[in-house]
Amino acid sequence: MEAIRVEGLSKTFQVKRKEKGMRGSLKAVFHPHMEKIRAVDDVTFSVQEGEILAFIGPNGAGKSTTIKMMTGILYPDGGKVEVLGIDPVKKRRRLAYEIGTVFGQKEQLWTHLTPYDNLKFFGAIYDIPDDEGEKRIREIAELFELGAFINTPVRNLSLGQRIRCEIAASLIHRPRVLFLDEPTIGLDPVVKENIRTLIKRMNTELNTTIFLTSHDTGDIEKLCRRIIIINSGKVVLDDSMEHLKYNVSDTPLEDIIMEIYKSQGRGEAV
Amino acid sequence: MKKYAVIYRSVLMENLQYAANAAMGFVSYFVFIFIFTQLWNYVYSDPGQLIAGYTREQMIWYVMITEMLWFGTRAAAVSGQAAMDIRGGNIAYQINKPYHYALYLLSRYTGEWSVRLPMYALLSAVTGLVLVGGLPGFGILTFLAVIPSVVLGITIHAVFKLSISFFSFWIEDSNPFQWLYDKLLLVVGTLFPVEIFPKALQPLFRLTPVYTVCYGPAKLIVDFSVEKWVEILVAQLFYLAAGCALMFFIYGKGVKRLYVNGG
Amino acid sequence: MLTAVKNQVRVCVLSVKYNIMREMLNKVTFLTNILFMMLNNATFIVQWVILFRLREDIGGYTMREMMLLWGLTASSFGLSHILFARVFSLSDLIINGKLDSYLVQPKNVLLGVMTSATSTSSIGDFLYGVALLCVFCFSVKRFFLFLLFAVTGAVIMTAFALLMGSLSFWLVRADMLGNNVINTMIGFSTYPDGIFKGGARFLIYYIIPVGMAVYKPVHIMVSFDAGELFSVLGFAVGLSALSVFVFYRGLRRYSSGNLMEARI
Repeated sequence: MEAIRVEGLSKTFQVKRKEKGMRGSLKAVFHPHMEKIRAVDDVTFSVQEGEILAFIGPNGAGKSTTIKMMTGILYPDGGKVEVLGIDPVKKRRRLAYEIGTVFGQKEQLWTHLTPYDNLKFFGAIYDIPDDEGEKRIREIAELFELGAFINTPVRNLSLGQRIRCEIAASLIHRPRVLFLDEPTIGLDPVVKENIRTLIKRMNTELNTTIFLTSHDTGDIEKLCRRIIIINSGKVVLDDSMEHLKYNVSDTPLEDIIMEIYKSQGRGEAV
Repeated sequence: MKKYAVIYRSVLMENLQYAANAAMGFVSYFVFIFIFTQLWNYVYSDPGQLIAGYTREQMIWYVMITEMLWFGTRAAAVSGQAAMDIRGGNIAYQINKPYHYALYLLSRYTGEWSVRLPMYALLSAVTGLVLVGGLPGFGILTFLAVIPSVVLGITIHAVFKLSISFFSFWIEDSNPFQWLYDKLLLVVGTLFPVEIFPKALQPLFRLTPVYTVCYGPAKLIVDFSVEKWVEILVAQLFYLAAGCALMFFIYGKGVKRLYVNGG
Repeated sequence: MLTAVKNQVRVCVLSVKYNIMREMLNKVTFLTNILFMMLNNATFIVQWVILFRLREDIGGYTMREMMLLWGLTASSFGLSHILFARVFSLSDLIINGKLDSYLVQPKNVLLGVMTSATSTSSIGDFLYGVALLCVFCFSVKRFFLFLLFAVTGAVIMTAFALLMGSLSFWLVRADMLGNNVINTMIGFSTYPDGIFKGGARFLIYYIIPVGMAVYKPVHIMVSFDAGELFSVLGFAVGLSALSVFVFYRGLRRYSSGNLMEARI
């Protein structure tokens, strides 16, 4: 079954452009010159339930915009998105019960509270009754090995422990699809490996569909069987990992990706 | 001395760019003055009345000038900045630089208010002329004579604010003390001239910074006399010396504590 | 439906509780903040003692009524900032795209945003207002009326701040405008309305809602009038409805990415 379906998705932003110098500034006040930027341009793909998909591209390629449209934060101006059969524009809150989001650079946790209290809070947000919540916290604590620090305020935890808690908190309502935006950013190699194992385990044990963006080829190589590359708002590659590596078996993935970014001429349409 | 001039100049340039933003703060100033004008119009039941020796015009101008000093010299350099540097540990990088930290902040502060205050002065002159009319007896000579007193008043204020900021070497949050000091200035010296208080309290107020920081300059502007001028300048110089001694003392103690405890 | 409301309330209560718990991490700072804010407010008693020495009524107020006005303003302001401090910095969230994390939660966006911060010193403001009432003009009836009006006042202030903050969905520099207008509201609310005439009177009753937030309630507490009471309640409800409507209109703009200039 398809967990995510995206068809002809487009998003255009209007950006004010200012001409140089004093005259330009004055002109911008009265007649701002609006320029259109196609952040996402006719993107089509689908993700099967239970899949781990890498969604990558250079900075400014349209990754975040696409994720925002799939989670209902942004409205598309063309095309269609369906996540678990739900239209994020029309039923944002209904969809929110089914998905989880982790943005590596943004914290969602209350740092002065313990992971336990945080999990309780997220439980309340997702309408989970108290006794059921307790049960799930125990399960998650075991799966994520939070036991040793579940009663330590988050601000006293290491970065790796925090990320583990962030992911744990986004799972309390058992989402069927999890959006992970650069989950391993700024972590040391050991912790990175740790997080990857977790993501893998989540996927196999809970059958969670995982939509992952990352600049770290290690994440992609170790986790994903399929990869979508987006550049200048367009999908430039949608292929299985196996197939991608089969053609150029001894080149490292990093170089392959770099090659693809370059051949697309960063910032220009194909 | 030259390095402090350079610090002053660079902040001045930086702040010129924010002149437009600072002007927005003038709205709050205007609202305040407007309210006070209405208040005094109500309290002075007939136009010729004198309250504590002030005419209605003088009373409103007094508030306008003290509030102008208040709004026009409000800046982070002497209140928030030092406390933040000390609490955040930034102070460690500051004390090793080839300047004295307190004087560095004072120069910064002077740079900040040199831009704001003239703007406020101009705008309050216009507001005053429109709302209450001119101030009798005020001329260019008074204006020039009062400048040193205004500069001294602002500097004394900054020295006291900095001294309070340096409490942060010992306590986590020195803001409550800043509030209390500000409120003392506001209620005793800014909203009313000292003469309006009961006779018994007046000598006491003359001992507080209020007399040199806001009452002094404002009194000279609304009701100038040479004797008053000399008296206030002498008091200000004395206060500045005492304030600086206090500031350097607190700072020295604080830094020593920092070296001992490592922050 | 009922459980949905119950769940929503539960989340809001937890949010406010956790906010206050964060402030209480350092007990000394927490208490000094509250105490000093009360002291800070109390200094203004001096101002009014002096003014009432000069004249017995100011703008139709006696000292007791003036303290009632001050107290109501402090408590309303306090209450709105204890529960909904974030509304007063809404512009920042909008301009910097920080509403995203509330949009991925299955709860009401507005309530989530509103209850996501608190201000410790405002607890001092709230308590100070109640203390003023008790010291200067206590009666059982007035006490309950005071609590009611502190709530309506807080609602009106919050709704007005929400309205001003929501302007940032459309205007870039709306935060400055909003802050100034809100400061003006607070400025007026600690002076008797009787000293204002003409245009100013129009302003405080019809443009900036300070008349309905504090002046009218004080008049009602001085001489009770049920009709006026309902007009205050009605106004609070009406203004809230308007501000919520405007916020959601703006949120639609936010979601269509029309203010994404700086952050693609």
